[in-house]
Amino acid sequence: MNRARVAGRTLRGSATVIATTLILVPIAIVVVAAFSPEDYFEFPPPGLSGRWFVEFFRLENMRSAFALSVELALLAATLSTVLGTLGALFLARRRGAVAALLQGLFLAPLVFPTIILGVALLLLYKTLGMPVFPGLLLAHCIVAMPYGFRTVLASAQALDPALEEAGQSLGAGPLRTFLLLTLPLIWQGVLSGWLFAFIVSFGELNTALFLTGPGVTTLPIEIFSYLQFQGSQLVIAAASTLQIALIVILVTAIERIVGIGRIIRAR
Amino acid sequence: MKSAWASALVVPPLAMTALFFVAPVLYLFWVSLHEASPSELYGAALTLQNYAAVFADSFYVAIIRRTLAVAAVILGLSLVIGYPVAYFVALLPPRRRMLVLLLLLFPLMVSNVVRAYGWVALLGRRGVVNTGLASVGLIDAPLDLLYSTPAVVVGLMTILLPYMIISIANALAALDTRYEEAAQALGAGPVRTFLHVTLPLSTPGVASGTLLVLLLTLSAYVTITLLGGPRSKLLVSMIYDGVTAFQWPHAAALAFILLALALALTMLVLALLRPARVQGTGR
Repeated sequence: MNRARVAGRTLRGSATVIATTLILVPIAIVVVAAFSPEDYFEFPPPGLSGRWFVEFFRLENMRSAFALSVELALLAATLSTVLGTLGALFLARRRGAVAALLQGLFLAPLVFPTIILGVALLLLYKTLGMPVFPGLLLAHCIVAMPYGFRTVLASAQALDPALEEAGQSLGAGPLRTFLLLTLPLIWQGVLSGWLFAFIVSFGELNTALFLTGPGVTTLPIEIFSYLQFQGSQLVIAAASTLQIALIVILVTAIERIVGIGRIIRAR
Repeated sequence: MKSAWASALVVPPLAMTALFFVAPVLYLFWVSLHEASPSELYGAALTLQNYAAVFADSFYVAIIRRTLAVAAVILGLSLVIGYPVAYFVALLPPRRRMLVLLLLLFPLMVSNVVRAYGWVALLGRRGVVNTGLASVGLIDAPLDLLYSTPAVVVGLMTILLPYMIISIANALAALDTRYEEAAQALGAGPVRTFLHVTLPLSTPGVASGTLLVLLLTLSAYVTITLLGGPRSKLLVSMIYDGVTAFQWPHAAALAFILLALALALTMLVLALLRPARVQGTGR
């Protein structure tokens, strides 16, 4: 009996060591490679150098892909959080088949194969003659919207409806009630939804794969085409490390604002 | 907020979802039902030929088989590795558990292209594994580890593993420990308690982790391309190739075959692991 208990503990412990190694080592290797002083990555590295970061900002296509990704993520996060918040406020107090259907629809992009959405949008845009940037922005919005929707829905459902009724019975209109009462109470959900949406948009691959155009490329797609057509140059490691650094900063921000528990449950 | 004014709230997100999610997918389905055209996106005549051609071609049938086999192996490995890890995480005190979960959540936010690149840097001909093995004298020439189906399996499995761990750990942590205590008080040993109490009660977490891993495996084009190369293509690679060759109706049909596979697997998982209601106060 005791042997089974010890075996269980050993199994759990060793699985955890294996899993965390397999999950984290590939990411750590990228960061180590980015600081290589040589033209090729050697392990262990013979020294440290920032030359690949300098190279990253020197390359016109890398710089513009980075700028486009940031711009796209800022706009897509903002637009998708506004839309997600509206949907969440509408659904927070509603029950029934229609509400369930709408909630399923708003969350569907989370599980829907995004590669199919990418092909579908490409065909639609070709038919409509949609320019590249707005097309890309709308695609990122669809992919990011469930994150804002879900975090705000959780905040709005935790809200006491009596508060809003009190606001309205004291003569505040719907807009005033929202700005002075609802928004201050749900802003944590809105903000963490925005940060999630930013992260999702910044790393988005499957729709952008089809929707980027010549000269209008996002950083993940630029990294992908570099890897595919020019081999693994270390400037890619620098680009990846910048992305990892940005995500570390954003995750820390989310943790400070809403706490870790909230993040885990929101997923 | 129950007024006509409040109902207007739903219009913008609904319009956005309808126009740029539902409509394009329906349009894609419509295109898949048409013959190809040399000049237009699709021809005028309606046909089921695009679907029939895929299933009549042994090349595509083999690709669909390989896709399902790869998905099954990735799922199996992520369950076998992920479950004990999730158990370990769930047994930690709350504060430490949250920290470990955050450490597992962070890789999910890093773009998959970056995580696949990490595996390229490890497994490539000049990669860490090859240079490491050469420097200790185990190999003379670099091994071809990359651009193979095992590389896709290992890379994709580790990329998706945190989804499995987090899903199961959340279910296990929400489990009421009094069930386990009751089983042990009634004389069940640790193995019996696990098999008859803990494991069945954690099925909702297993189901959601399984669904995430399966669905994301099916559409992981970038990871499959970077680690599998031209010889280990899966169904999703064929969709991309169809689009770049401007074979719109063909690519559209392949996309809906992928979607049908995803739906069928979802139903199968939900039927096998009917998420049982778990109640309790949690750890």
